[in-house]
Parts: sequence; structure tokens; C-alpha cells
Amino acid sequence: MVKLEYLKKEYEKTRQMPGKWPLSSYRYKFNITHFQPFLKALKEKRLIGLKCRSCNTVSFPPKLVCGKCLVQPDQWVALRDTGMVATFTANYMKDETTGELQSFPVIAIQQDGADTTFLTQLNPAVKFEDVYVGMPVKVKWKNQPEGNLGDIEYYDVIDDATKKMKLQNE
Amino acid sequence: MNKVGIVGYYQVPPALDHNMGRYELIFQAVRGALDNVGLKHKDVTSVVSATNDYYDGRTISNCFTVEAGGGYMKDETKVEMDGAFAVHYGMLRALTGHHKLVLVWGGSMSSCYPYSSSTLLSTDPTFERPLELINDMTAGAFQMRAYMNHFNVSAEDIAQVAVKNRRNATSNELALPESQLPAATTEMILKADVLSSPVTELMYSHPCDGAACIILAPEQQALKIRDDPVWITGVGYSQEAYYLGDRDLTQSQSMKNAAQMAYKMAGVKDPKKETDVAEVFEHFAHEEMIFSEALGFCKPGEGASLSTEIGGELPINPSGGAMSGNTPCATGMIRLIEAAKQIHGDASEHQVKDVHRVVASGQIGLCAQNNILFVLERGGRK
Ligand SMILES: [Zn+2]
Repeated sequence: MVKLEYLKKEYEKTRQMPGKWPLSSYRYKFNITHFQPFLKALKEKRLIGLKCRSCNTVSFPPKLVCGKCLVQPDQWVALRDTGMVATFTANYMKDETTGELQSFPVIAIQQDGADTTFLTQLNPAVKFEDVYVGMPVKVKWKNQPEGNLGDIEYYDVIDDATKKMKLQNE
Repeated sequence: MNKVGIVGYYQVPPALDHNMGRYELIFQAVRGALDNVGLKHKDVTSVVSATNDYYDGRTISNCFTVEAGGGYMKDETKVEMDGAFAVHYGMLRALTGHHKLVLVWGGSMSSCYPYSSSTLLSTDPTFERPLELINDMTAGAFQMRAYMNHFNVSAEDIAQVAVKNRRNATSNELALPESQLPAATTEMILKADVLSSPVTELMYSHPCDGAACIILAPEQQALKIRDDPVWITGVGYSQEAYYLGDRDLTQSQSMKNAAQMAYKMAGVKDPKKETDVAEVFEHFAHEEMIFSEALGFCKPGEGASLSTEIGGELPINPSGGAMSGNTPCATGMIRLIEAAKQIHGDASEHQVKDVHRVVASGQIGLCAQNNILFVLERGGRK
């Protein structure tokens, strides 16, 4: 296998120039008043989604503009704290001391009541091998919510009722 | 050749530091333009935006502006330049015959990034940037002194342009409030804080927050939407050398080239006689004079002799020009909107009488490296 490395060779004809590209000087600005109800709900350990009156799409997290309709959605709807894994992958981390490579699942959640998915993390105790699409999950709230997306500490795995179901003709 | 008409437009009032987010600013411009002419989002077939990754704090920034900018599931593209260049791109799309309605928007929020540092980053990393001597202000100062020295133009003459534009801005309800100086005098302009000698703060078009949108349609479609579209009858563009040292800063060869191209297309023989108003993107007061010379309104070095106020022989920037609010990525587009308003008779307090033909320009780069000129004419059925 060819290993790609970000390595600059020492050529005779070309050389590197010292230079700065200070992108960190950007000051991001968002209107938070529009999302105040969402943040307030998070602080109360509740989830709400924003519904577009024109196409009925419920977005979670909420969106300022519905791209489909070019309108600003303004109807808040309550969401359950359960959902299911829509898709997933893994992040890899090397243990500093042992050098062992560990994998952590990263998931997209289809929150019950919402039409969009939310990119988040699973309970770190869950093994990557055990994750599957359709896996039911539930919000694990932070003990002291502050009114931001960090209040969702992670998603916990809950009992998968579909696994216990049996087809009638079996 | 088939023509393209401007059928709608909207400008969000500029502010030094808008109390709104980037998405809302864009949404207001786009929604405003559609609502003004009663068009729907589904009528739009192509969207062209003018934004800049650096100004947006995101790479490939049209990824995030897509919903607010009306580009969702549309034929969508972006120009990393002034909005006037995006209008040209949109015009070409309308001319392909594949698009019935092209929405073009541009803008940025200067309150989110250090504008003049970003212009330093546009300089050459080998010869210019390590010295950190050049940004838009020092470059403009080089240009002003070179121009004054070459043609023996006085600082008072140049300050007079700022006086006119800042007074004109007072009657423009969409001008940046801080740019308006109803009682401006040349003395006031000359005695303002020095930005970079000889340029003072009041000779500079200060960057601010804002956005604008223009809706274009090919001839037949434009006439279905409104009886009086503003026709784009000519367009020209040209770009000069990158390294400032390679350029003649006493004149604008690229604007001359752009004008030649646009006048030829529009059939304009005597620009001074055949033009009723000019709206040019002047980053500095002296650039307006350099441009009026390049546009053929007067001889080189004689920009000061032209009477350019509202009611003068050839009104230039009755809106106050870029000095009335310089929104990076929208300023040139706003010149086009102002031109269209003059033609429609919608310019309220700064309206010029009997306007049939207007030229409007956009620019980008240090000392207006790249210029684009449009000739716009009163529309209607023949
Ligand atoms: Zn919708």
C-alpha cells in the first residue's frame, strides 16, 4: 500500500517561503434571538424542532431558512428524546501510553419527530462493532444544562424492541 | 443578439456592524428582490453569488450560503469577486437560452474580519507580503500621489469628489449613515485623519456590512415579468498586472479597455454626450476622477473640470457611490442597482432628470486592478 505523507522535499530549484494566513482572525456572527426557544428548551432538558409552514419539514437542529421554500420557518414542535441511528462511522484515537488504536463511533441521529438528522456522538462505552443503522437511542443529558447543543452529552443505546418481534408465520 | 434585462433588485441597508447574522443578511437581499417583483423561488432557474471565502470565514463559502441565497437544488455557482462580475456571469447564463430567471446576489460583513489585513494577504508572498508594506490603503495612497503628480492635480480637486459623494449620500436613504456629510467642505475632507498620506479617512470608501440582489431574465421573459426592464446593452471588462510596480497608476488602462468593449457593444460613440448618469465603484475619491477620464468623459488629468453633481453636465455617483457604503462583494452590484433606479425614476431624493442611459462599474484588486463596465438603458416594448 502506498502511504501518502504531507512532506515537502528539499529541492534545489524551489524553496519554501515563510508566510502567514491568519484565518483565525474571523469573528463569526449569528443572530441567536431566532433560536432562543431552542436553547431555552435545551436548558430545560427538552428538544424542539423548527417546522416550515410551507413544506412541513421539521429540522433538528433548527434552520434559519428553509432552502426548499426560501422562507424562515417559525413553528416550534416538541420532539421526543428518542431517535435512531441513521448512519455512522468511527473516529480513531491512539492511546498515548500504550500506542493502541481505539475507535469511537460517530453517529447521525434521526430524532423522533424530526425530518433531518443530527450529527453527534454515542455513549463512549458502546463498542463500534455493536453499532448498526436503525439502532434506537435516547438523549443522555448533561447534569447541569447551560442552554447549548453541548447539553446533549451523548446518545445512549436503548432496548431494540424490533429484535424481540417475531414474524407471524415463523 | 438577444438582450438581458434587469427585472428586479434589492439592497439591504448597509451598516458598519449589522445586528444580524450572515444568513439573515443574504436572505433579506434575495427574498427582498423576489418579493419586489412578485416572483417566486420556484421561478428561479440559476443562482450566481459573489462572496469570498476569507470574508465568509469558510472555505467554498457558497456551501453554507446556498439555502439563504436561494441556491438550494438550483443551477448554482459563485464568483469570488465584486458583485458586478457576478451580474456579468449571470447575464451569460441568461443568454445561453437555458435559463429563464437568474438570481444574482453579493455581499459580506466587514464587521467580521479585518478588511485591510485581507487585502495585505492578496499581495505577492515572495516580494510584497514579507515586507508587510502594502494593503488597499497604502496602494490607494501610491495611486493618488502618482496621479496628482503626473497631471498636476491638487488635493483640493480630489477632496471635491469626496465632498460631492458625501453630500449625495445624504439624500440616499440606503447610504451608510456614517458616510453622510450634508455640510461637507474640501477643508473638512483634507483635515480628516490621514489613512495613508495623502489619502484621508473621508476620501476612502469605508468597508461595511451589507448585501444586494439583482434578478436577470432574457429579453422575452423579461418583458413577461415587467413592461419596463432595464436592458444591459453593453458590457466590458479588463484586468491589469498583479504586481503594483508593473502598473501605470496615473490612469486606468483596464477601465479604458472595459469601456471600449462596452461602448462598442452598446453602439455608444460619444460617451459624454450619450450618457446621462455614471455610477462607478470608487474605492477612493481620486479613483472616480481616474475612471471618468478612462470612460472618455474628459481628457486624461482633467477629471476635476467636469461638473458631476446632480444637475451637472454628467452626474457621477448621485447615490454617493462606493463612499456611501462599500460592502465588499456587493459594491459594484449596488452601482448597477442605482443605475437601474435612475432609469426607472425610483432614485427619490437623488434622482437625475430624464435618464435613458447609465454606465455602471465594478472593480476588484489593489488600485482597481480589474474593472468591469455595464451600459444600461431604459427598456420597454419597441
Ligand atoms: Zn419549507
